[in-house]
Amino acid sequence: MTTDSLPVNASQNGLRARLARFWEPYRSVPLLGWLIALLVSVGLEQLVGRPLAWALGMSKIPALFGIVVILDKPLLIPSALLYTILIYLLPMAIVARLLTGFSNRLARRLLQYPLIVSALVHLVLAYAVLYLWTDISDYRLLVARLTMIAIIVTLSLNVVNGYMGEFSCSHPGFMSLGAYTASVFTLVLFINDNRFGEAILPTSWGPFFFPIGLILGGVVSAIGALLVAIPSFRTRGDYLAIISLAFMFIVKSLFENLEVFGGARGISSQPDYATLPVVFVWTVLSVWIINNFVRSTLGKALNAVRDDEMAAEAMTVNTRKTKMVAFLFAAFWAGVAGGLFAHVLRYINPDTFGIRKLAEVLAMVYFGGLNSVTGSIVGAVGLTLISEALRPLEIYKWIIIPVMLILIMIYRPTGLVAFTEFDVKSLFQPKEAAEKGADHGAA
Amino acid sequence: MKKFRWIALLLVAAFVLSACGGGGGQTIKIGINAPLTGDIPKVGEGTKFAAELWLEEIGGVINVGGKDYKVELVIEDNESKGESAAAVNTKLITQDEVLVIVGPQSSKQAVPAGAVANDLETPMISPWSTNPATTKDRPWVFRTPFLDPFQGPVVANFVSDEFGFTKAGVLYDIASDYPKGLAEYFKQAWEDIHGAGSVVAFESFTTGDTDFSAQLTKIMDAGAEFIFAPQYYNEVALIVQQAHELGFEGPIVGSDSWGSAETVNLCGEDCYGLFFSTHYAAEGATGATKEFIDKYNAKYGYVPDDVGALTWDSLNIVKTAIENCGKLTGDIKVDRKCVRDAMAAIKEFHGITGDMTFTEEGDPIKCAVIVRISEEGKFTFYKQVCP
Repeated sequence: MTTDSLPVNASQNGLRARLARFWEPYRSVPLLGWLIALLVSVGLEQLVGRPLAWALGMSKIPALFGIVVILDKPLLIPSALLYTILIYLLPMAIVARLLTGFSNRLARRLLQYPLIVSALVHLVLAYAVLYLWTDISDYRLLVARLTMIAIIVTLSLNVVNGYMGEFSCSHPGFMSLGAYTASVFTLVLFINDNRFGEAILPTSWGPFFFPIGLILGGVVSAIGALLVAIPSFRTRGDYLAIISLAFMFIVKSLFENLEVFGGARGISSQPDYATLPVVFVWTVLSVWIINNFVRSTLGKALNAVRDDEMAAEAMTVNTRKTKMVAFLFAAFWAGVAGGLFAHVLRYINPDTFGIRKLAEVLAMVYFGGLNSVTGSIVGAVGLTLISEALRPLEIYKWIIIPVMLILIMIYRPTGLVAFTEFDVKSLFQPKEAAEKGADHGAA
Repeated sequence: MKKFRWIALLLVAAFVLSACGGGGGQTIKIGINAPLTGDIPKVGEGTKFAAELWLEEIGGVINVGGKDYKVELVIEDNESKGESAAAVNTKLITQDEVLVIVGPQSSKQAVPAGAVANDLETPMISPWSTNPATTKDRPWVFRTPFLDPFQGPVVANFVSDEFGFTKAGVLYDIASDYPKGLAEYFKQAWEDIHGAGSVVAFESFTTGDTDFSAQLTKIMDAGAEFIFAPQYYNEVALIVQQAHELGFEGPIVGSDSWGSAETVNLCGEDCYGLFFSTHYAAEGATGATKEFIDKYNAKYGYVPDDVGALTWDSLNIVKTAIENCGKLTGDIKVDRKCVRDAMAAIKEFHGITGDMTFTEEGDPIKCAVIVRISEEGKFTFYKQVCP
């Protein structure tokens, strides 16, 4: 599948060749195999992580693969490295290799059933990994939830900036619309608080109605997007950027001046409804739906509009409708993400959704890759984790991250994983190439 | 063979180093959640410096029940963002297992961070946050500054008594919660004294604005005798200078946000002779306050502003609470509970920003100070106002 030609010139290059030779058997490990290996690793951490960390002189299990430990206390570098190797790298390498045949067979077996079965098995495994991983510490839990929300926002912005090829700056505005709507929804209906008074419905109903609140948030965002879209889609390029930027500021000052929503002080004490499973399900939904959207006829029309609007029009694409639908669709997901964000943080104020949030989301989109679902996931996860891991560096963090972005813009101008299709079916495939040998050899 | 040697070497190194790292007796960890980068790095710097100075001052030890405990500060950057402040608090509590947290400073970080601290049952004290939501219904969260509902009337009473004015003009930033809240409390207090309509002009602008001539002209046309501007130092300079350029003769009165060394640097002679209410006065301070200012000035080369002083007080409150605890069990959950209870029970605390006790909500009852900016550009003590 890969077009890598490393093994061919192996003899010429020492270290690279060795790595390539080491990597060779792992090419035949399917996604299922990796997930199982990861599950074994996090299970191992659950069982022996704490004593191992103590034995290595660390008071806690290193939260983010030891990077924070390394930057914080250089003396513990070997311990952190050793921990990561013993808990993650080594078990994963062994399990993935040993189970290559098994996981390939299992993947093939699963594909005989409808695709949904494969998808569910993979998702359950992924959730199990995430659950065990975040079970270790609340810090991981918070980082994981914020990361998944970042994935939704990045994906939805990618629909506009990547697939549609416009430059929209209003995403923080959409998030804030969604966040305020969902917050008001839950606070008015289910929570006794001093801003909106007594709860209208029993508090215990809250978690079940929370999805409605999120969807409502998304719908309000989409209506907001309609307001931007009507005047601005007569323009293109820079002008849309400016109009959407203006929209972001309008939303911000709207909430600053609306005393009912707390003005500049914001709204606090949202209930803790955005738990790990809730955020996980919404993230999966958003990836699935957005991926289907961009691969549909409408998505292809979107690409046509981006590449040449005139030509697309000539080829019977209804450009105006296409752009409108995509923009509203993206805003909807930004609103959902905003609603989740408000219930993870449990406090929002207008200032949260300002120019800094915009810079953050844009960086994720362009870091990960335009026009690519995988790219958005890579960008959101990558930047959130890097930014969390480099926190001990304080001000130097803001040198390292921009330098990284500059380097990426130079060497990969469209982002790390740009212009790829996220094909779920091929993702679940057993790795055919290895099958003949591995089936006999590895079992 | 060679590979083996490398691995063996690595293992040995790991164990030797980890032996060094893991050593040491029982320590008390105190988390500092500060905005070291982002919008207000000066505030973060003041926090960090005050905390480091404090650690030096106590010699790195706190004595609890006749036993010395080594104190370790865990200083983390919250980038001046709400979600980062929450993440930092979670990290401090679950990863670093701190006993108590000092910070975050501004309300937009302190409110979400306070929620985390309260949920995870860790005592937290914010040195600077004035938003009521920070401590409201949160038994684990405390604060050191007085609240805006107290400061508003302080300024209103002071101006009424001192100048005998009856017509006030207010200029504030509507997009920032601190100025906005304070402006509203001031308006309320002023109208309680002088009747409805005595605030003749209530003008606003948005963060980042630099031209206030329209608002100032309106205030002057309305016949205001003085202007209350609860703004931060960068805007104070612009407001005062522009008011003087437009020919405004009356005084301009400020709030504790004026208390930065930068105010006078930026504003210059225009600000001389003006008054503002704050937590403490650096010039002419005596006793412990002077000692703190001198030490800070000697070490970092500038007079600390109120953030530094309040952080210092917060840390001392924490210290008192830990000492009052009597005994540390080593079980972090029990100890946190003990520190929280001790903190809530503090009856009289003599801080460098005044004496204080805590209410049920975790808010202090303390005095405010009226400061006059002298002809040398120093913040001199003028008057103390107690509740």
